[in-house]
Amino acid sequence: MKIHRKVLLLEIKNFLLGKTVLIGAISLLLFGLYSFYHGNQVISQQQQTITTVQSVQRHHLQEIVEHGTGKAVGTTAYYPFFYTTNPASPWAKFSIGQRDVNPFTLKVKMLAIEGQLYDSELTNPLTLLVGNLDASFVFIFLFPLLIIAFTYNVLSEEQESGVWKIVRTTGNNMGAAIAGKLLVRLAIILAVTLLVFAAAIISLRLPLSMPTFELLTVVILYMLFWFTVSLLVIALGRSSSFNATTLVCIWIFLAILFPGIANITVNNSIRVPEAAETAIRQREGYHAKWDEPKKPTMEKFYAVYPQYRKYPIPDDKYSPGWYYAMQFSGDLESANSSKKLFDKLMQRQTLSEQIAGFNPVIAAQQSLNKIANTDLTSHIRYLQSVKAHHRQVREYFYPFIFEETPTESIDWGGYPAYHPNQYVDEPIFRGVMAILIWVIGSLGAALMLFNRNFIKIKDIQNA
Amino acid sequence: MYIATPLHVHTFYVNAGATALQLINFYMHFRFITLVARQEWASIFRSKVPLALFTVLFVVALLATFTGWQYVSKFNHQQKAAHQEVHDQWMSQPNRHPHRVAHYGYMVFREKSPLSFFDFGLDSYVGNSVFLEAHRQNTVNMSEAGFSNGMLRFGELSMAMVLQLLVPLFIIFIGFQTVASLKLNGVLKLLLCQSASYLDILIGKITGLTAVVWALFLPLLLVSLLAGNLLITGDMSAEALLRVLLLTILYAIYFLIITMLVVIVSAISKSAKNALMVLVLVWMLFFIVIPKSAQTLGSSLHRAPDKIAFEQAIEEDVSKQGDSHNPDDPHFASLKANTLKKYNVDSISQLPVNYGALVMQEGENISSGIFNKHFDRLVDIYKAQNSVSSILGFADPYLAIRNISMNLSGTDFDSFTAFQKQTEKYRFEKTKKLNEIHLTQIKYQNDSKQKVSAKNWQQQPDFSFQPLAFSENLAAGTLGMAALILWVFASLGVLIFVSSKRAYQI
Repeated sequence: MKIHRKVLLLEIKNFLLGKTVLIGAISLLLFGLYSFYHGNQVISQQQQTITTVQSVQRHHLQEIVEHGTGKAVGTTAYYPFFYTTNPASPWAKFSIGQRDVNPFTLKVKMLAIEGQLYDSELTNPLTLLVGNLDASFVFIFLFPLLIIAFTYNVLSEEQESGVWKIVRTTGNNMGAAIAGKLLVRLAIILAVTLLVFAAAIISLRLPLSMPTFELLTVVILYMLFWFTVSLLVIALGRSSSFNATTLVCIWIFLAILFPGIANITVNNSIRVPEAAETAIRQREGYHAKWDEPKKPTMEKFYAVYPQYRKYPIPDDKYSPGWYYAMQFSGDLESANSSKKLFDKLMQRQTLSEQIAGFNPVIAAQQSLNKIANTDLTSHIRYLQSVKAHHRQVREYFYPFIFEETPTESIDWGGYPAYHPNQYVDEPIFRGVMAILIWVIGSLGAALMLFNRNFIKIKDIQNA
Repeated sequence: MYIATPLHVHTFYVNAGATALQLINFYMHFRFITLVARQEWASIFRSKVPLALFTVLFVVALLATFTGWQYVSKFNHQQKAAHQEVHDQWMSQPNRHPHRVAHYGYMVFREKSPLSFFDFGLDSYVGNSVFLEAHRQNTVNMSEAGFSNGMLRFGELSMAMVLQLLVPLFIIFIGFQTVASLKLNGVLKLLLCQSASYLDILIGKITGLTAVVWALFLPLLLVSLLAGNLLITGDMSAEALLRVLLLTILYAIYFLIITMLVVIVSAISKSAKNALMVLVLVWMLFFIVIPKSAQTLGSSLHRAPDKIAFEQAIEEDVSKQGDSHNPDDPHFASLKANTLKKYNVDSISQLPVNYGALVMQEGENISSGIFNKHFDRLVDIYKAQNSVSSILGFADPYLAIRNISMNLSGTDFDSFTAFQKQTEKYRFEKTKKLNEIHLTQIKYQNDSKQKVSAKNWQQQPDFSFQPLAFSENLAAGTLGMAALILWVFASLGVLIFVSSKRAYQI
């Protein structure tokens, strides 16, 4: 199929001179710039808070120790909070994901952990409801509309204005003519995409490493998906308004209705009453111990920490060792429902990834959040790391508590430091494949329809 | 023969004639408007596309209502069960030291409002349970959004979403060509040559379209609101009925506004295609871009502290106020002096009451007061942030209806804040009662060794959330309602202006 260079150049000129292209591209660029500003603002505010954590922690511990001077570690240990942070990856500014919903700093006491894990961040719920206008939103929601605006009347307008008939009678290669027109549009769409993406790299200071290229891959594939969907609709050979209406309906279905229904499906098929259950269990598990004999509680504790058996626990009066053993057994008793909760959250993740196979919009959004480490899985990883840190802190202080060391004679800052999770390069193969299959599928169908409706068609009256 | 008619008789005839003419004229306008409206009604019901679109919307709306209702009733059931469990545990506590009970604490669960099945509002983004204990003001935790992956952020499928977002789109699709296509096929000129004015035609079109939209969606809205409310609460109070009726009326006004906008755009467009393009763009602007930008603008105009900053500010204020652990602290030193003076004794051990409990309650008073002050300030910041989108309701009718719909459904910001405030008040009072028991029934000497009967706390009242009154919801929705009414009048004004311009008739 040979495309005449002259025709192609004319087409480029015609198309570029049209107002749609300019308005569409400029407004997208403006939205893009706003989204970069917003992404930068949200994430850098979080980062700023995170940088204060260390000094907050130091100051906090200092005060606790001051107050506790003269008392045993066991008494003082009740008060301090230990802070943890979940720093944003460099790509979080591109795709904020769930980072605004989930807390990015959590503080835990040495007491039972379960009740402390689900503290929410303070945020305006209306802001959460409305969601972020970040770069991923611009690419996922707004770009398809630009693609629709660029392509919906590619052939129908020529048909409607009667130009098409003239083109047909000249007997030129129809396929080449159509391909030329479409390629020009595809090239411009990709150029705008690359332009906005390049602007994102610069203004969000995205590192030029693998994840950035993964983001770009997903974005480009996603653009191809919408372009092929447009092709499919155009290939039906109907009027411009039919094309526009159909494409907008597809957009609404894929980007709003389908995810809405999918969300209900996921929530209804995997319910999580365990969160409340865990908190209730733990509270009871710990508090009931006050009124029970101390031996069974201590035995549970010794099963995990046999090295403390040698310290005497008086049966008739309060002792710090017993207090922390009670706290620990509260966690033991809620461990089961806690595990169930985490399992269910992972099930939710898996189910929604399966659903995303049927919807490239969800697949693309999930992939971007994955690359940016801003999805539910990353948050669960953070919660697990908080749990691990809680354990480290407890275990650091246990010997001093059992030894009944005075507060002032230990190093309160000497507990193993909290190491935030590193960036996890999660595989996005599934999401990418899902979009790719949709691209190939709709491209194939579009080609077939083009062939039937535009190329092989015989104008009987002109024959 | 010439008979002079008195002048006033003459003017009477002229006046009567004029009035009659006016009446006839008015009647003609009226006839014309109804004619256009009827024709519009008939043509919509004749073609297949609107009916197909409506069927889709109808199914989606029913699905949304059904799942919403199921979700709310299951959720409330779950919350009730959890509450019952916590309450039973509370009641079956053994004899304990009251301060132990204060730390044992209580858990409160948030149930959803009866109309939340219709409009989820902020429900999924606010927490559902809170742990209440002495000395600590906990936030309401465990929101559904926290346990959800990104899918929730695409938007929740509720009946309100269908009505607010998708019905306007339906109106666009059935209405974009109403006037524009009349121009193209020349019918508009024919109509204008008859006695009709352009305004008559536009009003006729609006009447016809609105009648269709109302007939299709309002009964659905009314029936599902009534049925859902009845199924969730088991009865229908006058207040609930008022809420339902008001919601229906407000949605009716909202649909009217959208219809007017669609007809206006159609009237000023050169072709139906252009009208559709402009309308779809406006839809995106109104429903996606402005709402998001309004909120991000609000949060950058009014910066809210994050949790760490919020807690630090409280801690700082508390330590300024007085430190109950420090014997030399001036605040607590004066409390001690005053107490000794009041009971006319020289030392704490001679007091008839437990001084430890007194100090504890004083600490509670201080920290609770400071927390409430900071919390109120935080709520004020959030309100200021949200006011941006309330004000922008005058620029975007979607924001107006979204806000009132949440208000009337009890899923708005104020309802949630009310829950948070009531739980804090309950926590404070519960702790205060426990401190009183501590004060009077536990001796200062050997304090921690003593226990009191479980009856003491079994008599404490349980928490029950008092939802905001109808009048409060109404007050919160005033701005939105004003915006909607203004939109109606502004659209009418634009309509009259457009109809007077010759340029828009060709």
